[in-house]
Amino acid sequence: MEEGGARMGLKDALPGGGTSSVTGGMFGDGSPTFLTSKIDWIINWSRRNSLWPMPFGTACCAIEMMASAASNYDLARFGMERMSFSPRQADVLICAGRVPYKLAPVLRRIWDQMPQPKWCVSMGACASSGGVFDVYSMVQGIDTIIPVDVYVPGCPPRPEGLIYGLMMIQEKIREESLSRHFEHRAEDPSSVARPHANDAQVIGLTGPFGNSTQQEELSNKEPGTRGELPEELLP
Amino acid sequence: MLDETKTGLDTVEGGPQLSGKSTDSSGGKMDDPDGHPSVIALLSQFGDAVSGHRVFAGTQHVVWIDSACNLEILRWLREQQDHQYDMISDITAVDYGAGRPIEVVYQLFSTVYKRALRVRCKLPLDGLEIDSIVELWSAANWLEREVYDLFGVTFRKHPDLRRILMPHDYEEGHPLRKDFPLRGRFSRAEQTRRALDQSVEHSYIAEEMDLGRDPQQATPIIGTKDGDE
Amino acid sequence: MSKRTVEFNVGRNPEMGIDGSVVDSPILPFDIPEPDLDTENMLINIGPQHPATHGVLRLVCELDGETVKRVIPHIGYLHSSFEKLGEYRTWNQVVPLTDRMDYLAPLIYNCAYVMTVEKLMGIEVTERCKVVRVICMEMDRIFSHLLWLGTTAIDVGAFTPFLYAFQERERIYQLHEAFTGARITTSATRVGGMMADLPEGWTDGLQDFLDTFPDTLEEIDRLLTRNQIHIGRSQGIGAISAEDAINSGFTGANLRACGVDYDVRKDQPYYDYETYDFEIPVGQHGDCYDRYLCRMEEMRQSVSLLRQALERLPGGPIDVEDPNISLPSKTDCMSDMESMIHHFKLITDGIPAPEGDCYMPIEGSKGELGMYIVAEEGGTKPVRWRIRPPSLVNLSVLPKLAEEHLVSDLIMINASLDIVLGEIDR
Repeated sequence: MEEGGARMGLKDALPGGGTSSVTGGMFGDGSPTFLTSKIDWIINWSRRNSLWPMPFGTACCAIEMMASAASNYDLARFGMERMSFSPRQADVLICAGRVPYKLAPVLRRIWDQMPQPKWCVSMGACASSGGVFDVYSMVQGIDTIIPVDVYVPGCPPRPEGLIYGLMMIQEKIREESLSRHFEHRAEDPSSVARPHANDAQVIGLTGPFGNSTQQEELSNKEPGTRGELPEELLP
Repeated sequence: MLDETKTGLDTVEGGPQLSGKSTDSSGGKMDDPDGHPSVIALLSQFGDAVSGHRVFAGTQHVVWIDSACNLEILRWLREQQDHQYDMISDITAVDYGAGRPIEVVYQLFSTVYKRALRVRCKLPLDGLEIDSIVELWSAANWLEREVYDLFGVTFRKHPDLRRILMPHDYEEGHPLRKDFPLRGRFSRAEQTRRALDQSVEHSYIAEEMDLGRDPQQATPIIGTKDGDE
Repeated sequence: MSKRTVEFNVGRNPEMGIDGSVVDSPILPFDIPEPDLDTENMLINIGPQHPATHGVLRLVCELDGETVKRVIPHIGYLHSSFEKLGEYRTWNQVVPLTDRMDYLAPLIYNCAYVMTVEKLMGIEVTERCKVVRVICMEMDRIFSHLLWLGTTAIDVGAFTPFLYAFQERERIYQLHEAFTGARITTSATRVGGMMADLPEGWTDGLQDFLDTFPDTLEEIDRLLTRNQIHIGRSQGIGAISAEDAINSGFTGANLRACGVDYDVRKDQPYYDYETYDFEIPVGQHGDCYDRYLCRMEEMRQSVSLLRQALERLPGGPIDVEDPNISLPSKTDCMSDMESMIHHFKLITDGIPAPEGDCYMPIEGSKGELGMYIVAEEGGTKPVRWRIRPPSLVNLSVLPKLAEEHLVSDLIMINASLDIVLGEIDR
């Protein structure tokens, strides 16, 4: 492959390239006119190099996501220049920013609308765990709503962080196999528009942590008047 | 499930419980009104309705007025030639907790005289009602809706009094009250379940549902939950 | 105050004349006779997840064909309860919340918050701190306007300005990072000063940015200001009269585009803004195009303000020298008993405030940004922390502006208001 050509490096990347005596093959003189490879490899190779992200950007992280797509960091280098604003033509959901309960059904619906195979990146602390917003209106981690493949930490993560997260998705795709596809990716149809985690998991995932344990009291040292709530509704 | 919650939450809609402790944020005090002509004029014009005046942070004049005549006094401040507070910067409310009255705060500014004035009205917890001032400033529309949403103060004669930040069917109460716990009243599991357990029709208000309704058919033409939109 | 109006020598809808000169020609509307058919209005939902709503805004529109009859905005899809969370934090702990509110101009929000707390407590910051904060705020005004410029250009179909704007934003990101350590969430201010003094060589970096940025701005200006498509999409769209604009709460560049010269920096000056030499651009028609021109001119004025601030940047300490407000240095804390006690008291208790409330408006990038704080006697946490959101009040005018316009104009009007959802929903 000539330096800078469109197929540069392709020969080295392809495993099991055959040999042939026919001259004038697809890679130049003396090269084979055919390729042998595993269908898994071909499919995963094409899938991971043409991922179309669905940017579900809500807050600060969305600005960093825009910075990743702009000229300095240029997400297009990884085959992701086509931001797909319609979930039906998207492969990766990038959930960037905080997700309140009011937005949770929207997120779930967009995830349900995406065709298989699909992957999800949870970008930033708020999407992954609620972050500093351990409050009445915020979802404590989108993994209670939808399944997540890669969590990118940071508040917000740098563009390098997001790109690394997306490369981990590419690594994950490389390991997948068609023969175990349905085992990996099949979804229960009854899970549509339902939370991804059950009640016990939600409570386990969203418990107070770190500094936020002090927030259990009411503000301004006010004694609480909880009203008379049924047991199962209480935190 | 829903009915059980309703009975438990009746107390929420009634507002915070009164405790014996009750102090006054203005303390009924009258600071020196010198230096602010509008305060002097207010005191002479509406002497009975003005219950306090303080100067905070050096230059900020705050006037407490009777909540029954907020519309009258604000209209006067807006239309008097000597004052002309033509811009309403902010409307908000303050809950001090411990059963003290919730105070509605109007922040006024006059682009003519470059003068600012803050007007506050006390509302007792058992009478959280005040006249809307949308007819004076249309900017008040969303700001009053926000106070209604987060504090539960009802604005009389408001053209479109709905919740604005929280979902329109939010059942846990009014979040910025002091007796509202930071994480909400329901458990996280219940909050998650409630958030996702909603049909598409749920996110439209009644008015929009009427617009989307085909007069020939009984059902609205809006995508159903499992289908396409 | 003498000269506050900048004349734009740009004709309305310029076209090339025969001799190559620019002539003004009016844009004529098509006159198509109404066909006599039975029609009914349609209900269309835009958002909350839509690239043209600049966040998670949701608009429900009633359409007659393609004409917008009525718009009902729904907000609250990003409600993160900053105000409630602030009641659980001490004065300095609130600062990290402020930059997550408006992630387009974080330093302006940092400064606005501590300015209000300082006003309430009667703290006078040092001269150096004042100038550093002016630098921070003007830098972020450019930062925010650039993003507005890029995304608005995308909304009218021009992609190149977005890339140009982000190239320049990337340089401000680097300045942020060199100063505060973070690209967006800066949290740079503390009550009584800044988190740190400017690092060595930082002002050279800013000077370098100021030297080359105006060229890029002129390039973007050449791409958009006389662009026939851009003019057609924005002139006469979403116009509002000055009186209506004041009554409905418009502030910032949106209000100035209507011809009202209200700018908090001139009318209620803070941080010696009255001693700087700058002009306030004022429009005439109050439409999308005038808003665009005002913001472009504001960026040029900010560059001039930054140059003046760099010139007058004084030496001396950046924090107030009061051990009850500012943290002692690490060395003092480790070697001096008294400093250690002050450090312990400041961290565990916080700074006590006097009783009262304080409303402090500043000129944010989106409009008049007010912070309202209520404190109790000796309280180390706010009883109430309220942000007067400029975007929320500006957005509430959208239904009035968009009436009887086309759907595509609705997108343009929404973009021209320069909203940020993090601050609308708080």
